[in-house]
Amino acid sequence: MPIDIKSLHPLEIKVLRVSDEKTELNMDFLEKNLSFSVGHANQALSWLFAKGLIEEKEKSTVISYELTPNGQFALKNGLVAERIVTLLKEKGAMTLPEITKALEVESSDVGSSFGLLRSSGTLTMDSEKKACIKEPYTENQEVKTQRELLDRAEHTPLDESALNENEKKAISKISRKRGSDSIFREVEKNLVTYSLTKEGLSAKEQIEKMHITGEELGENTKEIITSGKWRDTPFREYALNAPLTRLFPGRINPYSEFITTVKDKLVAMGFEEFDGPLVENEFWNGDALFMPQFHSARDIHDVYYVKEPEYTDDIDEKWLNNVKAVHENGGGYNSRGWEYKFDPNFSRRQLLRSQGTVLSAHTLTKAKIPGKYFGVVRCFRYDQVDATHGADFYQTEGIVISKDANLKTLLGMLEMFATEIAGATDVKYVPGYFPFTEPSVEVHIKHPVLGWFELGGSGIFRPEVTRPLGIDVPVLAWGIGIDRMALMHLGLNDLRDLFDNDLEKVRMRRNTNA
Amino acid sequence: MPKIEVNDKFFFKCLGREYTSDELEEIFPKAKAELDDYNKDEGVLKIELNDTARPDLWSASGVARSLRLATGKKVKKYTYLSSKGDTKDSGKRQFIVDENYPRYRQYSIAFAASGKPISEDVLKALIQTQEKICMNYGRKRKLIAMGIYKSDSITYPVHYGSADPDKTMFVPLHEDRNMTLREILKEVQKGKEYGAIIENELRFPFLFDDKGEALSMPPIINSNTVGAVEVGDKNLFVEMSGPNLKMLLLAANIVAADMADLGFEILPVKVKFPYKTEFGQTITVPYYFQEKTETTIEEAEKLLGVTLKAKEVVKLLSEMGITATVSEKGKITAYPPSYRNDLISSVDVIEDIAIARGLDSIGKSSLSDFTIGRLQPSERFSRKLRGIMVGLGYQEMMYNYLSSVKEYATNMRLSDEGMIHILNPMSEKFALVRPSIIPSLLKTEGLSSHAPYPHKAFELGKTAVLDSSASGGTRTDNTFAFMSAGEGENYNSVSSAVSTVLYFLGIEHTLKPLEDPRFIKGRCATVEVKGKAVGVFGEIHPEVLTNWGIEVPVTTAEFNADILREVKG
Repeated sequence: MPIDIKSLHPLEIKVLRVSDEKTELNMDFLEKNLSFSVGHANQALSWLFAKGLIEEKEKSTVISYELTPNGQFALKNGLVAERIVTLLKEKGAMTLPEITKALEVESSDVGSSFGLLRSSGTLTMDSEKKACIKEPYTENQEVKTQRELLDRAEHTPLDESALNENEKKAISKISRKRGSDSIFREVEKNLVTYSLTKEGLSAKEQIEKMHITGEELGENTKEIITSGKWRDTPFREYALNAPLTRLFPGRINPYSEFITTVKDKLVAMGFEEFDGPLVENEFWNGDALFMPQFHSARDIHDVYYVKEPEYTDDIDEKWLNNVKAVHENGGGYNSRGWEYKFDPNFSRRQLLRSQGTVLSAHTLTKAKIPGKYFGVVRCFRYDQVDATHGADFYQTEGIVISKDANLKTLLGMLEMFATEIAGATDVKYVPGYFPFTEPSVEVHIKHPVLGWFELGGSGIFRPEVTRPLGIDVPVLAWGIGIDRMALMHLGLNDLRDLFDNDLEKVRMRRNTNA
Repeated sequence: MPKIEVNDKFFFKCLGREYTSDELEEIFPKAKAELDDYNKDEGVLKIELNDTARPDLWSASGVARSLRLATGKKVKKYTYLSSKGDTKDSGKRQFIVDENYPRYRQYSIAFAASGKPISEDVLKALIQTQEKICMNYGRKRKLIAMGIYKSDSITYPVHYGSADPDKTMFVPLHEDRNMTLREILKEVQKGKEYGAIIENELRFPFLFDDKGEALSMPPIINSNTVGAVEVGDKNLFVEMSGPNLKMLLLAANIVAADMADLGFEILPVKVKFPYKTEFGQTITVPYYFQEKTETTIEEAEKLLGVTLKAKEVVKLLSEMGITATVSEKGKITAYPPSYRNDLISSVDVIEDIAIARGLDSIGKSSLSDFTIGRLQPSERFSRKLRGIMVGLGYQEMMYNYLSSVKEYATNMRLSDEGMIHILNPMSEKFALVRPSIIPSLLKTEGLSSHAPYPHKAFELGKTAVLDSSASGGTRTDNTFAFMSAGEGENYNSVSSAVSTVLYFLGIEHTLKPLEDPRFIKGRCATVEVKGKAVGVFGEIHPEVLTNWGIEVPVTTAEFNADILREVKG
């Protein structure tokens, strides 16, 4: 694949510009022709090599010597041999142990240095077996050479090729490949010489054609803008598809975004939001909705009860008596009721609300007529948690209180929900069953992307629900399966994902289907 | 909702012809039924019945009967029914509820049936009817228990009474030895399953014939002799017991109708009680006990939003099995079929008119009432907070509201006092209602160490705690909390965030020292506004972090959004 010239770094550009097919590219060449530092030269060559613009042509081994920490010490304070000479010049003759002690060095170092200095006639041993300067003073050539090498190596390592035979011999005595107890470390390096590949040559041609020099302006800065430098020098053009840095934006949870949309649409249709506490009681959660106390959904295995306080006294006697009567005998509302003994104590039992309709019931006691109300509320069910059941979940419910409410207007409203809230293109109604509505209707809708699904349930509250709570006009009641709709919109298929604790999953989630 | 599985051939035989899946889906709504699945290879239809007040529909025969009615096909006439003032001949078949009947399950009734040798399909269908009646409608036999017996080996009258659980013995179904009633409860599978209904009583219900031969111990198990019905039997005896007479009579009518539809002749049994019932001291079963339900054409028109004619109403209701008359003045009097008792009030009759007519025929219209839409103040406030937090780079999270003592208390170095405990948790994972959002946020961090930093998260949600001054002794709050995790997070960074949020809410706050085991001492504060505590924040204590498996510093802040909104004014 041809290389994107814009992805080349200015260092690479410069290397390509100064080379041709014959050029032997290596550090020396780059230092000489481009004044690259070792670092820059290394970077440029390794990048070009990785991109296949240059290839290895020759590899040779180069030996160099660099100072060890011991060498740094010797550079400043002198080699052991130098220090012995200095010591003896100052203090006169001393025994070897005395020298060792005075210099705080290894006795073996003192021994070998003394040997070296005696061989050159610099030192001698006097009659008292003490080392002393031999007059006239003769300098030891090897130590002198070592000193010169030390000085030369202060800033940059010494290349073996730059040493003469004498120096090589001298350095060999104080250098080692490993360890730090010597003065110099002998380092072996591979020196690679590269040449341009075909791709490299074609890149070079392109660079020249495009008049790219590698001297173009990089990052735009205040300095560039105010100095007017940009008038004379072009900006380097950037690779458009260079790898990006990840950003971490703050984001609204897509599920709450979805709920917000639903709420806004309902408000736009004239609905007022209701809300209430998580802890309810059997009265509002079931009795007030005309669910008989023996109803299967009111079993201990269907709702979560509160351990303490297990019962509440806070139920208005007026409602309690009305509802009791309607359960037992229809309460005079042209109904038989459920014909059983209603237990007010059962009603007082506290639980975690299991259906949003509880709040519809509460709302009836204080509703305006006409009135439209809704809520998106958390409910709790005694269900084994799996992909389709949560211990807690949202229900979207509402009511319409109006003297004109009837099955026909219910179907009209459901159609409005289907198109406005769910974006449906087709709607189907089938008879449904809910203990608190009669007639009851289930709504199935066709979404242009998601296909057919059940939007929710609805109906007209039974008079046994509304009359005891003081409402004597029809009340439409509806619920929308918002959790399932949200799953589909978010491209998920497990209810548990809506309340995911995993930060990465949540922050990468997006609405893919709508 | 009840689900039934039926053999397709058997079901189509009941229906009168074969139907395709599409055709079934077309007519099923008339019975509030849904076709869950049709496995043609296995010949099995799975049907879901949505109307929990219509136990008559929980069998192949029942669904078929209502669909035949709805599509105008002929149905059997149930001539065996007695009613007030019309008692059918019961021959020698007598059933006596003895004086020592169990006071906690005072009713038992029975009828008999005879027909061709019972086939496997029919036996299966019968067992399914029994199963659904007792499990769903009868609340796991608590309200209805039913037994079917070979009537050939029964000597009338049959007796329902009570017996000493330790002295009475019989061989229970599928066992090979005589056992006392109590042994049956303890050792036999059905005994263990349903024993709780009677185990604390002094005497157990016992059903036996005039020779003392055991039929069963209701509601637990039949005997292995009279009570072992099998393929090929012709003459059956059906008995039901429970605490509610109407439920039993209805269940008997449903089973009788199913059996009549399956080709049995239903033979009435005279049931004598030692006490007065609402239908007298003697009832010949099956017995039509239902009452009429009244409504008017006007009421129906008003509820449905359509105009109706008297003749049309009568025909539509007959398609639902209901016999109706309409007076000149438009008064509708409806009598349900023997197998239904769900017409509690006028609206139940009116719904049946709508179902028979078809919802598509109702039409649609819009409500003309004008109402003003409005969000809760707490919702509007939440939206404001959400905007600020997102701007500060926080990810909004949404969490479950139930968890364990470990997560809400132990991990947080808190006692669970003051938290709302669930009396009947499904598992210890759902033992508490969330008192704070902070544990949810820490759980997120504990799970997210693999995710690139920064980690900033918040939630706006509900929390609930015990509060003796609130209604019912608990209080639900709108709560707002956020968390930052990672190297460099400290008291200063969270204090900055808190002060930024409050600045944009227009709230001036002061900080007061806080002692809270969740936070590092001296690195946390209570936020006060106008002298009122609105929230807390600080550096989470390393022990808490360790409990959550977190290895980086975490700061959190939590506010009561309701109080925050109030003080904002």
